Amino acid sequence: MTSAIETQNLTKRFGDRLAVDHASLHIPTGAVSGFIGPNGAGKTTTMRMLLGLVRPTDGTGTVLGEPLSKPERYMNRIGAMIEGPTFYGPLSGRANLVALARLSRLPLQRVDEGLERVGLTDRGGDPFRAYSHGMKQRLGIAAALLPRPELLVLDEPTNGLDPAGIGEVRTLLRSLRDDGITVFVSSHLLGELEQICDHVVMIQSGRLMYQGTVEQLVAAQHTEVWARPEAPADAARLLAALTASGRTARLDGPWVCVVADEDCAADLYRLAVREGITLVHLSTRRQSLEQAFLAMTGTVSGDIAQGVPSGVGSAVSSGVGGNGGGR
Amino acid sequence: MIPAFRSEWIKLRRPSLLLSTYGAIAGISILITILSFALAGHHFGRGGGGGGGGGGRTPITLAQLAESNALAKAFAGFAGLLGIIALAVAGAQTASEYSVGTLRNLLIRQPRRLVLLAGKFIAVLSFSAFAVLLACIVGVVTAFVMAHIRGISTTAWTSSTGLADSGKAFGEVVLAVCGYTTIGMIIGSLLRTPGAAIAVGLVYILPFELILTATVNGSDKWLPGQLLGAIASGGTTDVSLHTAVIRALAYLVVLGGGAAALFARRDVTA
Repeated sequence: MTSAIETQNLTKRFGDRLAVDHASLHIPTGAVSGFIGPNGAGKTTTMRMLLGLVRPTDGTGTVLGEPLSKPERYMNRIGAMIEGPTFYGPLSGRANLVALARLSRLPLQRVDEGLERVGLTDRGGDPFRAYSHGMKQRLGIAAALLPRPELLVLDEPTNGLDPAGIGEVRTLLRSLRDDGITVFVSSHLLGELEQICDHVVMIQSGRLMYQGTVEQLVAAQHTEVWARPEAPADAARLLAALTASGRTARLDGPWVCVVADEDCAADLYRLAVREGITLVHLSTRRQSLEQAFLAMTGTVSGDIAQGVPSGVGSAVSSGVGGNGGGR
Repeated sequence: MIPAFRSEWIKLRRPSLLLSTYGAIAGISILITILSFALAGHHFGRGGGGGGGGGGRTPITLAQLAESNALAKAFAGFAGLLGIIALAVAGAQTASEYSVGTLRNLLIRQPRRLVLLAGKFIAVLSFSAFAVLLACIVGVVTAFVMAHIRGISTTAWTSSTGLADSGKAFGEVVLAVCGYTTIGMIIGSLLRTPGAAIAVGLVYILPFELILTATVNGSDKWLPGQLLGAIASGGTTDVSLHTAVIRALAYLVVLGGGAAALFARRDVTA
């Protein structure tokens, strides 16, 4: 698959602080790629370097086939919203978009198209400062869509949106992907990213931890098999039997959890029958993107949140290998 | 550069900025003109009816107001205030692009930074030049009305000499105000905070330069604000118009070039 973005050892240092540490990115063309990491991980700085706003301390790369050091060669094919929507407060949403369209010689019909695409046609004449947070976010996305971009770079586009707004952004990103636009999007809402992303890049403390498909990442994680005996007292007996059979298992109240592959469910069921234990619940759980992220980083961050409740929480094993990036 | 110029004017022509700036300039122009004519010929001083040595002064006489260069002189006297307003507006507009974060939007759509800067610079200069034109038109109209009220002849104003004097004064004031505007943009670009840009600009131009001029002999020939004042007055006894233009231009080219180079290279993290 060709790369919309390709970097080699991209590095940014602000004084003594290393914001991005030798990041070698590969963002495939035509896919929605998620950029995951806690606050301060280096996501926004990386995106700023890709957009020519911040000069890399070291490293090289290409964006849409053009060198990173020449943003004027590719920025007319890129739409972006970085660190939230910022516009002139007293100007209307429409006037703000017209100012940006004029700046890059875009036809003014693009402004109306953009407003329509994000559902702001009726409020386009209102001052930006009168917009709700969700409307501001949508105007930011409309501004990013002005050049009919080949590559869309969005930094936290769902920040502060209500569930309906998040759903709208999800639908929009899917439709953009269907139109052949490459999307590179960062978000804290890993559950949301999991639903829309084909590809994911994980970053922590400036270092890439993983990049590849979401499926590869989740598949590389262990599956958990959860069982609940009818009699709570049988949970300890089942745990002992599992441990004796060489399985890694643990108790969680009346539940027994085995970290293994999906085939383990059948073994566990047979073991329970052999021990005379009646099970009232037996299920397998694939790990979510959030769990995979935590497994990769080995830390729990309050900055990272799931967009969709994950149900029963569980510890995950660490040491899943990525297919590049980390040093 | 023209797209950047047109884009900047969408921001500059917003009613809140346009009405407040141009409204204030028109209002001040009317007020100063009315006061000049209303107070002309009146004797002010502590000496009461004493014939001499009472410390009294006459700001301007009715006869002086009837001279061909009266409008030019009045306009030149107003240039300092126009310059201060232009400096504050330019500084605030430039710095707010950083502080609000709108600069990153602009650079995403126009990554050639110097092209963006040049377009913005010319737009803000034209905004200031229009302000001078407005002040001139409003002041002249008010002057004719006040001359009629006070019975002052305006024949000399409309003579060829009078028109030439007024035209020259207008050009000199535009030049000086563009200089103040450039200083405002330089300070705004360096400080990146509107409040700080306005404060530093005003403190430098007003108390700092005035104190320096009063305490260091000959410094008015070299300080940028004083040189711009000299340009607005068509030159002074200490520094000719030609010298003032050359020296002010040298300052603005060096400082402006430095600020532009910084703008082109600096990381945009806001």
